[in-house]
Amino acid sequence: MKGGAASVSMVMPMALTLAIGPVLLTALWLALSPLLANTPWVALWQDPRFADATLHTLWTGTAASLLAWVSAGYLLRSAFIRGQTGRWLNRLPLLLATPHAAMAIAIVLWVAPTGWLLRFTSPWLTGFDTPPFWRTTQDPLGLGLIAALWIKEVPFLCWVAATQLQREDVRRRWQAEFAVAQTMGLTPTAAFNAVVWPQLARVLRWPFIAVLAYGLTVVDLALIIGPTAPPTLAVLAWEWLRDADAVLQAQGVLAAWVLAGLTLLVGASSWRPIIRIAPFGVMGRAIGGGWRLLFMLYAAAWLALLVGGFLGVWPFPNVRPEQWHMGHWGRVWDSAESLWRTVALGLLAATLTVAWLVAWLEWVPHRWQQVMRPLLIAPMILPPLLWAFGLYRVALWGHFEGAWFGMVVAHAIMAMPFALLALESVYRASDPRLQAVTLTLGRHPLQYLLSVKWPLLKRALWSAWAIAFAVSVAQYLPTLYIGAGRFVTVTTEAVAQATAGQRGLMSAYAALQTILPLMAFAVAVMLGRPRRFMKGLP
Amino acid sequence: MSVGLHVSVDRLGTVNKPLLKALSWSVPPGAVCTLMGPSGVGKSSLLGAIAGTLSIVSDGLTPLIFEGSVYLDGERLDTRPAHERGIGLVTQDPLLFPHLTVAENLAFAMNRHTPKAERTQQVKDALQAANLPAMGQADPSQLSGGERARIALMRALLAKPRALLLDEPFSKLDDSLRQHIREWFFRQVTQRGIPALLVTHDPADVADHSRVIQLHHA
Repeated sequence: MKGGAASVSMVMPMALTLAIGPVLLTALWLALSPLLANTPWVALWQDPRFADATLHTLWTGTAASLLAWVSAGYLLRSAFIRGQTGRWLNRLPLLLATPHAAMAIAIVLWVAPTGWLLRFTSPWLTGFDTPPFWRTTQDPLGLGLIAALWIKEVPFLCWVAATQLQREDVRRRWQAEFAVAQTMGLTPTAAFNAVVWPQLARVLRWPFIAVLAYGLTVVDLALIIGPTAPPTLAVLAWEWLRDADAVLQAQGVLAAWVLAGLTLLVGASSWRPIIRIAPFGVMGRAIGGGWRLLFMLYAAAWLALLVGGFLGVWPFPNVRPEQWHMGHWGRVWDSAESLWRTVALGLLAATLTVAWLVAWLEWVPHRWQQVMRPLLIAPMILPPLLWAFGLYRVALWGHFEGAWFGMVVAHAIMAMPFALLALESVYRASDPRLQAVTLTLGRHPLQYLLSVKWPLLKRALWSAWAIAFAVSVAQYLPTLYIGAGRFVTVTTEAVAQATAGQRGLMSAYAALQTILPLMAFAVAVMLGRPRRFMKGLP
Repeated sequence: MSVGLHVSVDRLGTVNKPLLKALSWSVPPGAVCTLMGPSGVGKSSLLGAIAGTLSIVSDGLTPLIFEGSVYLDGERLDTRPAHERGIGLVTQDPLLFPHLTVAENLAFAMNRHTPKAERTQQVKDALQAANLPAMGQADPSQLSGGERARIALMRALLAKPRALLLDEPFSKLDDSLRQHIREWFFRQVTQRGIPALLVTHDPADVADHSRVIQLHHA
């Protein structure tokens, strides 16, 4: 509405920027302050676990990110070549709805020494009558953590690609270029790798950095399934930050900055090479199986979570438990307040996020947007630990720690980059000629937004809302910190029960963690579906 | 200032590069004036300047600046926002709103304070005039190119514009349809007695007794 909004041209951008910019910048500034002291640096450097934890972090984060990158490329290629992008990419919200912590819990339920995998194969195949003393979860090599990150990040990368492929103009252009490349004698695989992948990879570069950042800095997932001796650097930093000792707290913040540095270092060094990593070029025949395998893995995870909440006495190696009961769900229901709190937080944070983003995309000048964009994306790139610490200090300063206002703002800030990814390119692709026509019909610019532009974008808007809701539900550190321990949510409960080894309760909470975003995505699909016109007209 | 549309262009273009300079003409009520010229000369931009939509269509590109004046029936319009000018626009792509039915597209253009019964009747009349009486509840994408062009014009006319801008509205039509739609368009303009400005590449689109202005690069 750039033409008709001259009167609000400066007021609105200023208001939108002031509503979020100072909070983000102050949080970062406050998180920077421990860098100036000498003692925490020495303490960090001399900590016997620091070097090993850093190596663990580098190994697990980088391996998982690269695996996710190659797998996503392979899946996108198979969908594109077979003309099935719509079929698979439209189902991605099902996978995105599963929070990282829930996936980690599901993997634990499957691969633990008393898990389903060994029960299905014992004793007839393995010979085990009792659970083996294997470290299949929290293993020293971090393989469980890598697997959980890998499985969770592939759908995220594919979903970002989907936001591009859902743009009619982009999809048509890529299909035309793909067809032209084949007329030059290239096989479909070679044509994809030569003309589509380089363009797609460029779009996915920042999301890859986000995946890398998440892999290197995640805490809740690493607590559940990551190595323990020593843990990853993010978990160590979290432990230090929780300590009452000010030096240890500062050491924790420094460790979080080290993680940020590692992210930038690995991200910068992989910036060019990753685009050249084309999806595997030889697996033409197995091309359709990848998507099915991915969905089957998620189905297995959901099954484990759903059933896990009803398990009673279950001796090894029985495949079926001797007893089913509702006790775990009963305990969840007893603390139903955490469920309603999670839902209310998600609804408020998602609505605030989308409302702010729409206003920002609509009324803030493009150049201004370009300047501020890195700041909005930062919560996806910099460690959640830093944000949690910085936002907590801001909350302390503003006296809104442990208050709803602070919680909603913190969740909205963390959800912002993901909602931006979902919305930005589609929003910008709106046809400006429709606005010109609307105005020449005598309609006010606001009527254009309410009656034409936003209704036409409703699918993308609801999708961004559902993503923001899912991100809010999955928040762990910001909830702990800004909530000042007074905000118990489904996610904080799931992680607490998982680290305490409460299998039944953690399954129930993890299932809830998955069901809530799924419901949000279902609502988004229902409200965002295009209008159906009467059929059978002449 | 006389009745009809009077346009005076001192300069139209980017800060560094003018597209059009020193141009002035008038279109009397009920007449169609034709603008012709090579691609890139600024024909569509000129229509955008007259309609007040120049900044919208050039959004994201190098901004175009219009220096000049637009008068309609003696009233200066170029200082007003697009939705207050009362100038209708029909483009090469009919740009029907894809989320509305054909009837809703037509009704969209009408004054919101018009009583419902009157609105319904006017939509029916417009569908009749477009020779599409049974297509009110149809999805716009079900219509053919010619049908869409007729609905786009009827929609523009239902807004009761005081002048009409036609930006190559026939260019995507088959030759067989083109002559028929063109005559129908001009008839609608003449019947309503409003001035119209037509941009076209095709000399065959020029209405009988129409004034033709040939545009050249500045």
